[in-house]
Amino acid sequence: MLLQGTLDFIVLQTLRWGPRHGYGIAQMIRASSNDMLRVDTGSLYPALHRLEKKKWISADWEVSENRQRVRVYKLTAAGRKQLALERTRWEQLSQAIAGVMQPPLTEGET
Amino acid sequence: MRVPWPRRGRSERDADLDDEIRAHFAMAVADRVARGESPDAAAAAARREFGNVGYVKELTRESWGGVWLDRLRQDVHYAFRALARSPGFAAAAILTFALGIGVNTAMFTVLNGVLLRPLPFKDPDRLYLVSHRPDNAMFAREASMLDRQYVEYRRQTRTFEATTSYNTFPTTLTGAGEPARIATTAVTAGFFDVLGVRPSLGRAFGPDESHAGAKVVIISDAVWRDRFSSDRAVIGRSLSLDGERRTIVGVMPPGFDFPTGARLWFPTDYEFNPHRMAMRPVLGRLAAGVTPRQARAELVAFVQSADAERPAERVERAVTEVIPLRQQIVGNVRRSLLLFAGAVSFVLLIACANVANLLLMRAATRQREISVRAAIGAGRQRLIRQLLTESVVLAFLGGLLGLVIAAGGVRALLALAPVDLLPRVSEIRLDGTVLGLTALLCVIAGVGFGIVPAFRATRPDLHLSLSGARHSAGAARVRLRNTLVAAECALAIVLLVGAGLLMRSFVRLRSVNLGFRPDNIVTFMVDLSDDRYPTVASMHEFRARTNQALARLPGVSAVAAVNWRPLSWNATIGDFELSDGRKLPPNYMALKPAVTPDYFRVMGIRIREGRAFTDRDEAAAPRVVVVSRLVADRFWPNGDAIGQRIAMVDKPKPEDWMTIVGIADDIVQFDVKDAPTPAVYLPLPQVESKSWLNHLSFAALTDGDPTRVERAIRQVLQTVDPLQPLESVTTMQAVVSQAVAEPLFQTRLLGVFAVLAVLLSAVGIYGVLAYAVAERTHEIGIRVALGARPEQVAAMVVQRTLALAVPGIVIGLAAASWVTRLLAKLLFEVSPTDPWTFGLVAVVLGGVAIAASVIPARRASRVDPMVALRAD
Repeated sequence: MLLQGTLDFIVLQTLRWGPRHGYGIAQMIRASSNDMLRVDTGSLYPALHRLEKKKWISADWEVSENRQRVRVYKLTAAGRKQLALERTRWEQLSQAIAGVMQPPLTEGET
Repeated sequence: MRVPWPRRGRSERDADLDDEIRAHFAMAVADRVARGESPDAAAAAARREFGNVGYVKELTRESWGGVWLDRLRQDVHYAFRALARSPGFAAAAILTFALGIGVNTAMFTVLNGVLLRPLPFKDPDRLYLVSHRPDNAMFAREASMLDRQYVEYRRQTRTFEATTSYNTFPTTLTGAGEPARIATTAVTAGFFDVLGVRPSLGRAFGPDESHAGAKVVIISDAVWRDRFSSDRAVIGRSLSLDGERRTIVGVMPPGFDFPTGARLWFPTDYEFNPHRMAMRPVLGRLAAGVTPRQARAELVAFVQSADAERPAERVERAVTEVIPLRQQIVGNVRRSLLLFAGAVSFVLLIACANVANLLLMRAATRQREISVRAAIGAGRQRLIRQLLTESVVLAFLGGLLGLVIAAGGVRALLALAPVDLLPRVSEIRLDGTVLGLTALLCVIAGVGFGIVPAFRATRPDLHLSLSGARHSAGAARVRLRNTLVAAECALAIVLLVGAGLLMRSFVRLRSVNLGFRPDNIVTFMVDLSDDRYPTVASMHEFRARTNQALARLPGVSAVAAVNWRPLSWNATIGDFELSDGRKLPPNYMALKPAVTPDYFRVMGIRIREGRAFTDRDEAAAPRVVVVSRLVADRFWPNGDAIGQRIAMVDKPKPEDWMTIVGIADDIVQFDVKDAPTPAVYLPLPQVESKSWLNHLSFAALTDGDPTRVERAIRQVLQTVDPLQPLESVTTMQAVVSQAVAEPLFQTRLLGVFAVLAVLLSAVGIYGVLAYAVAERTHEIGIRVALGARPEQVAAMVVQRTLALAVPGIVIGLAAASWVTRLLAKLLFEVSPTDPWTFGLVAVVLGGVAIAASVIPARRASRVDPMVALRAD
């Protein structure tokens, strides 16, 4: 279960390490989150096509070793810019959440 | 059914998505096999992990954007396929929609042309009629003003930018093809400027031509086309009106026929002439920024000062008002048109309810299909959208067919409408507004009545139906169907009550005692023009010769003449003096028909006391009159009217007094709905005023069928005066029919709508019952197996019918008692809540409901328990 904006961010982040097909992206998210995040195909493919439409990623067809057409996605320049933006936002958000979780000690507290 | 539709790259994109997902799948399986799973197990696990392929594709497609159009195309395509698979259902639904939308489009086409389209004048909303007229039936039809007062008013008004007055009458057109009687309008200065319409060819009247002496004329497009074959060189040519040559200076644009029906216009001006005052319509264009209220205030002030200055012109019990031109033109049909529009909307509602019921029943039989589609990945939203698309497609197909029905309907309506009832007929056509409304109706009908069935059909407890178990429709669905049928019955009742009331009213109207007997009378009118009949003597001579010639015709037993026959919307009318010096009540007016001796006999007007006129009441004889009972009873209530004397001029000299020699029955002169008018009859030979003689109505009493004499009459007139045009030879019965043509039209039209409504409701009742019987075959089978007799089963169905219809009838009657108030003005001597009509209508609809249940009841009573029980 992922928030919609979050999924887009994770997909973009995953593609930072190079072009990848849908299955590869799903596997990578799963592996890099220690099996915590499992992306549903019903969310992944709509997200990929949506990001493609926004021109943040582009897609090409490659032929795999077993001669199957595979659609491979890669980050575009706009995608990189968007990713940087999302990263900053994400960092601010996680700092904020961290702050809430660990409130600074105040005087009078025992 | 294949629908041609552009497939722009869509299938390619779909194929790509298929490939992408197939690759995903293959890689997932390959990974699992690499990890040591068996190929079969790996494939199964990968499939499980992937989830619903159809659903994933669907969601992905949604992210493509612009997809709604794509999906609409897909839905429409699917809808066509689904409908093609059940052509019976599709045909029933389309026909029902077509009927509902068709009659509505037809009605709206007429409404749009007559009421909604702007009048073909410049800034028509600033055009108002100025009226200061006696409150009297004779002047109630048209806003008007004394011409003498108008001359003053025109000079004084500041609230109107410009005003004009006009006067329409038939003239004899010669010198341009066949001689004919043609509607001609004499107009004062500024007529075309006030309206803001210029001739399309030639020019309007110049400022130096605004008087009766200017022998010029402007012709309508119709006259130009028919009589001058659209010759552009027509300007400068001439034609003759009542024997007077006039030069054509202009041709008006097509469709311009103001005042309604006018074909020719020539200039005139009013002058002060105390002996000839006439009521004329006055049209004005409001000055910028002036409200009608201000204009009326000015008019009231003007009338007050004018009455003070010239008391002789004072109009007693006057109606003083400023009326929008539109209201004058369309005012008298507005109410009935809106009423009919309301009636047809009921028909559409009933049609839609029927289609909704069809959809509900179809949804029940399609449960499996819908469940399957849901299972392979169609979201509920998508399913609803698809079902809605289906009902909208049905509505649009119905709408298309409806346009055909509407085109025929408009033609039928115009053919059925009495001549001259509908103004602006030339503007009635299927235009963009009408098509837009039709499209809107289709969407509203399709969505409005498809949405509930669609929601019902896609309720998420569908897995049940996949299990294949037969289960009857939920109680809620049955309730909804029954409610729809009850609503149909209620709507049909309202229409039926309306039609019933109009019918009853019409019967009343036809049985009105007119005071004369219209049977076996042939009648025609002539207008004697000044140029051909310049003297009173020549007019009397024409009348006498015509009378004699007609009397000689075989089959004619008596002949009479009168200046204005009854029901001709015109008459000589006025007051009189009493010899004992008593004053008449203010505004008391009596008809003053001048008649030949046989008039009372020919028209069947009974003489109650004294005598009718005889041949001895000639010009030189002592002057006599016959009064009607209303006059006699009013002024001589003791029954001593005979022998009293009256006069028709102010300050009568001894020879002006006329002696009452007889008392006749009262007659209806103007409108069948009016009360009889008091009358004072004069012997025609004793009349010496040209204005009383130049219009004559002849009436011939025939032995048998009056229509057989019609041709002979035309020939006779040819021998008397071959150049004299005569207006439509007709029977007095036809004149009476014409007088009630409008209520007859209203009755027929509402009758047609009511019959449509009842038929549609009957179909609705039948459909629901037939379906219920089919659905409950099993239950009926058990009942029969347990010993129920066929009659009991049939009775059960009929009982169910009444359970459907009776609440609808009751609600309908309640609604009707409220709605029929709108009819009140159209009804004659019938209360809008006439209990007889209400009762009869309830019985009729109950009967129709039972009739609709006959076939389902028969089918139910023949259920074979063995077959019914084995079906499971």
